[in-house]
Formats: sequence, C-alpha cells, structure tokens
Amino acid sequence: MSKRNFPGDPATKEMRSVAEDLSIETIWDRELKQQPHCGFGTLGICCKNCNLGPCRIDPFGEGAKCGVCGADADVIAARNLVRHIAAGSACHNDHGREIIKTLHLVGTGKAQGYKINDPEKLERLAKEYGLETSNKDSIKLAQELALRLFKEYGQQDGEIVLPKRAPQKQFDIWRKNNLMPRGIDREVTEALARTNMGVDNDYQSLMMHGMRVALSDGWGGSMIASDLSDILFGSPEPLRAKANLGVLKEDQVNIIVHGHVPILSDAIATASADPAMLKLAKEKGAAGINLAGVCCTALEVLSRKGVNVAGNFLQQELVLVTGAVELLIVDLQCIMPSLPDVAACFHTKVVSTNPRAHFPGSIYVEFHEEKGMEIARKIVTMAIENFPNRDKARVCIPKESRDMVGGFSTEYIFKMLGGNYRSTYRPLNDGIIAGRIRGVAGVVGCDNPKQNSGDSHVALVKELIKHDVLVVQTGCAATACAKAGLLTPEAAFQYAGKGLQEICEAVGMPPVLHLGPCVDNSRILTACCEMVKEGGIGKSLDELPVAGVAPEWMSEKAIAIGWYFVASGALVVFGTPFPVHGSPNMTKFVTQDVEAITGGKWAFEPDPIQMARVVIEHMDRKRQALKLKPMMYQ
Amino acid sequence: MKHVVIIGNSAAGIAAAESIRQIDKTSKITILSDEGYEAYCRCLLSYYLAGEVDEEKIPYRPKSFYKENNFDLLLNKKVVSVEPEKNRIVLEDKSSVGYDSLLIATGASPKFPKGVKGLQQKGVFGLRTLKDAKDIVALLSSSGSVCVLGAGLVGLRVAHALSKRKLKVTVVVKSKQVLSQMLDARAASLVQKKLESNGIEFIMGADAVEVLGGAQVKGIKLDSGKEVPCSLVIVGKGVSANMDLVKDSKVKCADGILTDKFLQSSIPGIYAAGDVCENFDLTIGKTAVNALWPIAIEQGKIAGSRIAGASEAYDGSMGMNSIEFFGLPVISLGVYDIKGASVSLEELETFDENKGMYKKLILKDGKMIGAIMVGDIRASGLLLSLIRNKVDVAPFKDKLLLEDFSYPHIAGKTNEKEQMYV
Amino acid sequence: MKNLYYVVKKCVGCKTCELACAVAHSESDDLSKALKEKRVARPLVRVYGVSGKDYPVTCRHCKDPKCVAACMAKALTRDVKTGMVLHDEDRCVGCWMCVMVCPYGAIRPNHKIKLPLRCDRCKDKDQPACVKACPTKAILWEEEPEPKK
Repeated sequence: MSKRNFPGDPATKEMRSVAEDLSIETIWDRELKQQPHCGFGTLGICCKNCNLGPCRIDPFGEGAKCGVCGADADVIAARNLVRHIAAGSACHNDHGREIIKTLHLVGTGKAQGYKINDPEKLERLAKEYGLETSNKDSIKLAQELALRLFKEYGQQDGEIVLPKRAPQKQFDIWRKNNLMPRGIDREVTEALARTNMGVDNDYQSLMMHGMRVALSDGWGGSMIASDLSDILFGSPEPLRAKANLGVLKEDQVNIIVHGHVPILSDAIATASADPAMLKLAKEKGAAGINLAGVCCTALEVLSRKGVNVAGNFLQQELVLVTGAVELLIVDLQCIMPSLPDVAACFHTKVVSTNPRAHFPGSIYVEFHEEKGMEIARKIVTMAIENFPNRDKARVCIPKESRDMVGGFSTEYIFKMLGGNYRSTYRPLNDGIIAGRIRGVAGVVGCDNPKQNSGDSHVALVKELIKHDVLVVQTGCAATACAKAGLLTPEAAFQYAGKGLQEICEAVGMPPVLHLGPCVDNSRILTACCEMVKEGGIGKSLDELPVAGVAPEWMSEKAIAIGWYFVASGALVVFGTPFPVHGSPNMTKFVTQDVEAITGGKWAFEPDPIQMARVVIEHMDRKRQALKLKPMMYQ
Repeated sequence: MKHVVIIGNSAAGIAAAESIRQIDKTSKITILSDEGYEAYCRCLLSYYLAGEVDEEKIPYRPKSFYKENNFDLLLNKKVVSVEPEKNRIVLEDKSSVGYDSLLIATGASPKFPKGVKGLQQKGVFGLRTLKDAKDIVALLSSSGSVCVLGAGLVGLRVAHALSKRKLKVTVVVKSKQVLSQMLDARAASLVQKKLESNGIEFIMGADAVEVLGGAQVKGIKLDSGKEVPCSLVIVGKGVSANMDLVKDSKVKCADGILTDKFLQSSIPGIYAAGDVCENFDLTIGKTAVNALWPIAIEQGKIAGSRIAGASEAYDGSMGMNSIEFFGLPVISLGVYDIKGASVSLEELETFDENKGMYKKLILKDGKMIGAIMVGDIRASGLLLSLIRNKVDVAPFKDKLLLEDFSYPHIAGKTNEKEQMYV
Repeated sequence: MKNLYYVVKKCVGCKTCELACAVAHSESDDLSKALKEKRVARPLVRVYGVSGKDYPVTCRHCKDPKCVAACMAKALTRDVKTGMVLHDEDRCVGCWMCVMVCPYGAIRPNHKIKLPLRCDRCKDKDQPACVKACPTKAILWEEEPEPKK
C-alpha cells in the first residue's frame, strides 16, 4: 500500500488507498477532475431558467451586467438561491409526507410490521393539531392525525400549526414580515413559480419568500417527520454504538442501509434480527447478520435500535470497497449514482427501493409498507444468498471504529438534565447563566472533499467544546465527530473546557450530543424553544447564545436547513458560501440585512478554528446583551 | 572604421543606434544631443509636470547603456549645419565631425507665434524638453494660475497636468474645437467637456496678442481686448521640425526632411527619422510628418538597419495618438474627419452621450483609413491593424463597432503570423 | 520556450479561464474574496464568440512586439531569454499606446487602476492558471514548434 496523505479519519485514509490500488474511482477522484469548479456557478450568477439564455453576469464588471431578460446579478443569485432552498425543503417535506403515509397506513390497519411506538407523543401532537383525543385508541388517532397532516400539506391559506411552538416574539416576527408558511406544499411550489423568468424580480422579495419556504420545512415537513418517526419507530434514548468502517464483520453477512427515510431501514433492522433469517445465514456459512448504516438512515436506526454506523456520506463508496458487503439497500437522498459501478467491482448487490429514486445498475425492489416485512425479508434473503459469492481474498475491512453515544432528543434532554422525576432544562439554562456553558452550537451538515472530508468538523467541535460551548449534532457531521471519539462522556475530560466538563460530569453526558439524522435538525429548534421557555436567557430564539454551523455542507437540504435557522433568529456559519457572492447586494442581504428582519444571519468561513471564533464571538455578544455573567473559566 | 553619426538622442536616435548595433558590432557610433541629459522618456514630461512621475523614472535607458553598446554620446552639442559634400557636420562652436552615414533625428520644437508680444519673458514656456519641465516645476510654488495658448496635444496635456497641481488653468483656443489635429468636432467636445468638468476653463475662438507683465508674467491680452490674469504662460501652438541644420544644403524638405522607403533623404548617406522626418502617410496617400513616439521608434529602427546594410523597407506611417484626460481615453487613427474630402468616404459611428462613448470609423472603397474612439478604446489595436494592412472590411463592417469586436473577427485577414489557434 | 495554444473546436465559451485568470491574479487567490479586494483583479484573457466559435484571446508575447516599441514610459520590455513581454507597473503611466498598437486587441485598459490588462502567463506559477482551469482542455501549454525553414 502506498503512503498517501489523505485527509479524513484513519479508516477513510486506508480505504482510499485500497480504492486507488484497485483503480476504483471514488468521489475524491471525481472532485479532482472537476477542478476548478465553474466560477459563475460558484458565484451564483449563471441563469438557465429560460431559453433566452443561458446567461451569465461578468463578476468583474467589464462584460454583461444583465441576462438577456434584464435580470441583474441580484435577481439571478436570488432566484437561484430560492430554487436551492425550495429543492432542499422539498426533500424534507417529501420525507415527511412518506412518514405521514406510513402513519395513515398504520391507522387504517394496512401497514405490515409497523405500529404506534410512542402513543403519548401521538396524543401530544394530535392535541397540538386541535384533534379531540379522548376516548380514542392510538390507531384511530393515528388515522385522524395523518389526514389532518395531509391537509396541512395541501393547505392554501392561513398558517401551519407547529410554528406555535416558537416563542411569541419569534412568532410575531414571522407574522409581521409575512414569513409564516401558509401550507407545506404551497410554499415550495410558489418558489418555483416566483423564480420563473419574469415573475418576482426583486431580490429582497424573493429572499423573503425563500425564508418562508425554509420555515415550511423546519417548522413543517422536517418537524412533522421527526415527530412522526418518534411516534412510529420510538422516541430515541441514549445508547452506545460504534462508528466507522470497522463495524463491518468479516464472518457475517453485511447489510448496509443507506439513505434517509426510517420506514425502510426500520423494517430491514427488524428482518435482519429475524431468527429464520439468522438460520439461513448460518446455512450459508455466515456467523450472523450484521446490519450497519451509512448516512442519515443509519442515524435513524442508530438512535432507536443502536445499529452501528459504518460511515457517513463520503464513505458510502468505501464501504463497498471493503469487498465485505453482501447488499447495500438504498431509499433516497445523498446516494451517489456511482454506487452500482463500485459495487460491480465486487459481489455486492445494490438494491434500490423508492419509486422516486432509481439507480441504473441496481436491482429495483419497490418498497411498500403494506408488505413491509415481506419485502424486507426478501431483501435480507438476497443478501444472505449473496454471502457465498464473497471473494474472501479481496476482503479488506479496516480495524478502525470508535465508541459513541447516540439517541438524544429534545424530550430526553429534559430527563437527562432534570432526572426522571423533575424533567427540566433548568440545569442547562443555569449553566449558561452562570458562565459554565458559553452557549449551544449545532454542528451539522454533510462531509465534503472541498473541506477536508470531515476533518474540519472534528477541528471545529474540539475548538468549541474547549471554549465551553455545548455542541449538538446531527447527520454526517455527527458521524464525523463520532469517528473521532467526541461523542462519548469521556471526551469531556479530554477536550472540553472546565465549565462544560463540570456539567457533563454532573449529568453524565458527552460534551457533544447526537440528535439524530439531518431531518432531526428540527429537534434543535424545539430544544431552543425549551431553553427560552425555561427562562433567563432571552425571550426569543435570536436572543439565545446559540449558533448553527455546517462546515462541509454540500446538499441543497443544508441550504434549506440553514435558512430555517436564520429565519428563526440564529447565526448560521457555512464553511464555503452558497452561490451568492457574485451579487454584492445579495451577499450583504444574507450576511447583514436579514438580521434586522429575523434576528438571524449568515457567515461564511472555511477555516474551522476561525469558524469557532465566529461562533464564540457571536455567543459572547449575545451573552453580553443578556447581561449574563462572564464565563466562569476564561 | 565606419563612422555613423546620429544627431538626436531620443526615440528615433536611440532606436537607430540599437538597431545598427544588432547587426554591426564594430562601427563607431556617435550620438549628439543639444540637451544636457541622457535619453529620457519625452512623453512622460507632462506626467512629470503633473507630479505623477518622479524624475528617477524619466530615463529611457539604464545608466550603463551607452558604454555597454559602445556609443559615443556628446551632450550639449548643437549641430548648426550639415555639409554633405564634405561628409561632415558643423557644430555651434564651429568644430566639425565627419561621418560615413548620418542620421538626422533632431525632433521638433514648439512654435512660438510671431504675432504675440512678450513671449520672451520669464514665465513663458513651451514643453518639449526635460529642462522646460524642470523650469516650469520650479515656478509652480509661486504660480496660482496659468494660461495655455493653444489646445493641441501638448497644450491640453499641460493644462491637464497643471490642473492636477491645483493651478487655475485657462486654455485659449483660436479655432472652434480642441485637438483639431486629431479629432472631429464631436470627439473634441467630449474631451473639452471632460476637461471643463474638472475645472479647466476654455476661451474659444480667441487668440492671445500679448503676454502682460515685465520681470514677472501678469496675464495675457486677447485679440478681443480682454485680459486674463495669470502668472505662467504655456505655448502649445504646435511644433515645427528641427531642420535648420540642412537649410543651406541640398537635402530636400517640406514640413520635414523628405525621406524614401529606407528613410534616406534626397542625399545618399543622410537619413532622417522621427519628428523631423517626412515620409509617406498610409492613410492620406501623400507625404506627411507624423510626430509620435512609436513612429519615431519604427523609423529609427528601419533607418538604423539600413545604415548597417539591411534592406527592410518602410511602408509609411500614419497619424495616430492615444490620450487620456481625467479617465476619458481617446484614440485617433489616420483620417479623422471627412470634411473637405475630395473623394467619397463612408462613415460608421456610434455615439452615447451619457456614457461619454463615441466611435467613428472612416472607410474609403471598403477599406478603413481612419478611426476615432472615445471612452471605449479596446478595439483600437485591431482597427489600426485593419488600416495598416488595407484590409477589405466591407464583408464584416457591421461588426466593427460592436462592443466585443475582437481579434477572431479579423484573424487571417491581416498579416499577423498567427499560430495560437489550433 | 513554452507557449499557449487554443484548440478552438474544444472551446465551449464557458469563460472558466477568465475567472481562473482573474483569481490567479488576485491577492487572495480565492474567487469570492477576489471580488471584494480593494484592487479587484480582472481577467487578462477574454473569450470572444465569433460566428459560432469561441476564441480565447491573450497576449501573444510577440517576438517583435509593437507594444514594447510603442511604450513611451519604458514599462514594457521583452525578455530575450524567456521570450516574455514584461510589464513594469511602477513605470507605467496608463497612456494606452500599447492598447492602440496591439494587432490582436489582446491588451485592454483597466481604467480603474490605469494599468493595461495583459497576459503574463502566470509567470510566478508552474503553468498559466487558464490551462489548469479549462474544463475541456482546450488550452494547451506546450513547447513552441521549431520555426519552419
């Protein structure tokens, strides 16, 4: 093996070398071939929305200042950005729709292998939606709630329900500025219509709608998805698991779930534990069935079932390069089209399942909740039967994996902090007020070869906890830190500042809390609401010493998430900017002007240490505004 | 050993000397100058005057230049006559220098109009030499206002420079427009407006008749009787070729010393180049003096290589210039006005007054013979090439004024040896 | 001596070379930041579309450069060893004589800073930034062929 200095965790380094030796093309090779990326695209000033174009603005001011239709850099960048937000939000909202559908099937008795796992939460949510809950069994309530939620998706006017969870001040800001989503599907649709040639030509007006779209995701589709997933699959509670490629097992049938929606991964997890399946596996010469996950669906089954995480976004090809995977099963989002090609170098089968997401070169087995268990068993059987085809000589599983704790939720944080009998956020707020904890930072998002393939998450989070910032994480960012061992209570002693360390020690929690997949970023919103409710650190989300950071974001979903945080009053820092810098007005709007409207704003900073500095300075400003005590251990 | 004598130590003289040395490493080369400085960038004088360029940037060649190339430089030597029959030149101090080949590159001098009284006073200058510039700069601290007589190139450059030095500048122009030797009325008015909006005052259709004052300039008196107070007067009424030294010889002259395609005068062995030289003008079709730095270099090179025995011929020059005042760039190429033309000429133009953008092209029989560009000068090099190469532009004349008119439009049509595109 | 060549049929007019060029000549060497610099770098190469084809246009570094002859401030010189036409910003006064005489229209005035925009072949780098940037490999950086006899 040649010595190559790749960024990333040790397993990634190792498997990249293997891929290179085997001449298997991976994301890093393709990234190199795309260098340099198109500058017009990077700056957000190319428009191909109509056939007058495609048009580009000359950012250096010598050439075209307007597209053929007359749209300037501001309009083009705004339209492009709003389309990104719409696409990202559409993903989350559609994810939510899938789960409502499952809830409805459970409620009508048609789902196979699904049930109501958290009836209390079901009742709470039904009440929020104004449903009569007394004298109803949870099945009936599930049906009613599902229909009510479908209605909210198709709602045309008025307001969606869950923004009511926000502090009054935030709520008023949204109402006053016309930012309140009127329905869930309507805002995305309107975004596409507005950004058509010759519709909305005012960049500020476009951006206001962009925020409304994002809010329909964060306080709509995503929040619904998280809540219903808890109801159907169980509310997460902390549990230990392992993360990184080392969780693959040489002597077992390795099945990888990849994608985002827990409906499939939950069924596969159940089927993999089926004794009949285990028996079949042993017949085929395997010691057992090892289920592991990649990307966010991994984190769904991690949070609820303690399934190990094989890797995050960037590692999806490397998982296959181990040569030890019998079957990779995917639903949708963040799945590289290259996977069937990599799989073709080995015995590995790739099974696609969602009618929205087809992958040439994969085996398509359409998944329906009505026959959920049947289909799950069929797929697991395919995996087991593929085990004898494995070429043992070509198997190369890195040893590397780290312990982690996953499965925190807004509700669990209550219990954790206050104990079972007096659930409360008080200790957290007190910790912030007393200056033990500086604030709370959400470090979330994808991993991206542009930004050191996960390394910047680790550097950033270490720097934050060193300065007594409690970190909450979701998605691939969480996996990156899990792989570095930061998601364990022990990490507090090794990396955290003294104040944070004291809190972690008292509560017995890690300094970095894993809140689940990226759709669960809405949990961060609700946790912030609870902090405001608890009192003493501000009356609205924008007064809290909190910030969101996505150092290595790549997906349009990240843009949508970032915007629902900014629209909710938070500072959000991206490592590399979304395409907007070709328009000075838009750049100013997103980094300055928007703050006067929502209290939130954007910052862009590629260096993780500087990024931490931006977050810390922001928190210190907020602390000062709240007249909180100085930090206890400076 | 062959002895080449070059009278003049500026663009043409230096270009000729260098071009001789490239071919001929041994001949004796003597360069004479009536100035007291080694070669300098004459065109930088107005920038020097404006305080934008330091004296240290003025030299045209490094200190070691003359020695390294084995040139004998004789400064402060004014040549008063040429005696072709004796193959020698005579200096002011009556001494003489013999030559085998002679290059006259004596340049030109500002014209001081005879009708104006008091031009000999202290405080009245032309701007041609470094000494002129230094003398003006020395008076700046005690001067609050200046009158510039004439709105030719030198006049306006000085006006521009001194306004940057915060002097109150008044330009007295006899004709109806500025820069009448390179621009049409419309382009001239754009330039004038630009200068006026930057505080320079113009008195049009007037001429000075007297410089007032005695030991010190106090103002000028115009032909209208009006007096304009000022403490400095700059004369910018054009230049005339420095050819007194051949007036008693048989060297043929018109506005300059007439030369053939090798820059040789009517007397074999005597060459002329630069502002003193009259040669074929490509755009007007007869001989003319085109006094411009790049042309002086071109002519000096050709003359020098001919003196050294090469046979590269000169196809002629053309009037052209590039100026910029307060951010407004202006380029004029060849024929710039069709008024009074005897043959039918075609004009193409685009004009945007708000943007201060004006382009005009003049065509004769489908070929370009001139152009004016104000505001946007990017395509000027291409147009110059089309003019010089006498390209038939009729097939693509609708493209010539496009904002992105570019080399690919004319690739293969000029004689550039192009190998970049594969 | 290496020279730049352009494969016209491969050029799709994407102007990636223009942006890469400007960035390579910026302080920060970063696209987003380059636009905010005090002295905004500008592309030295320009791509022009003519009758359906696209042509990058840059300084040819001519053997007998007209711009060098025309430069009255002695800011432009030709380095015989490297074959490069060099520009000394300190000496340049922005008279645009070079713009006026370039037969390729490859020198553009940058009026903001009164300096000409002219390809320097990224003299401080291994190869010009445009070569690396071109997504279709339409820009070649190759040894000049021997002159035909």
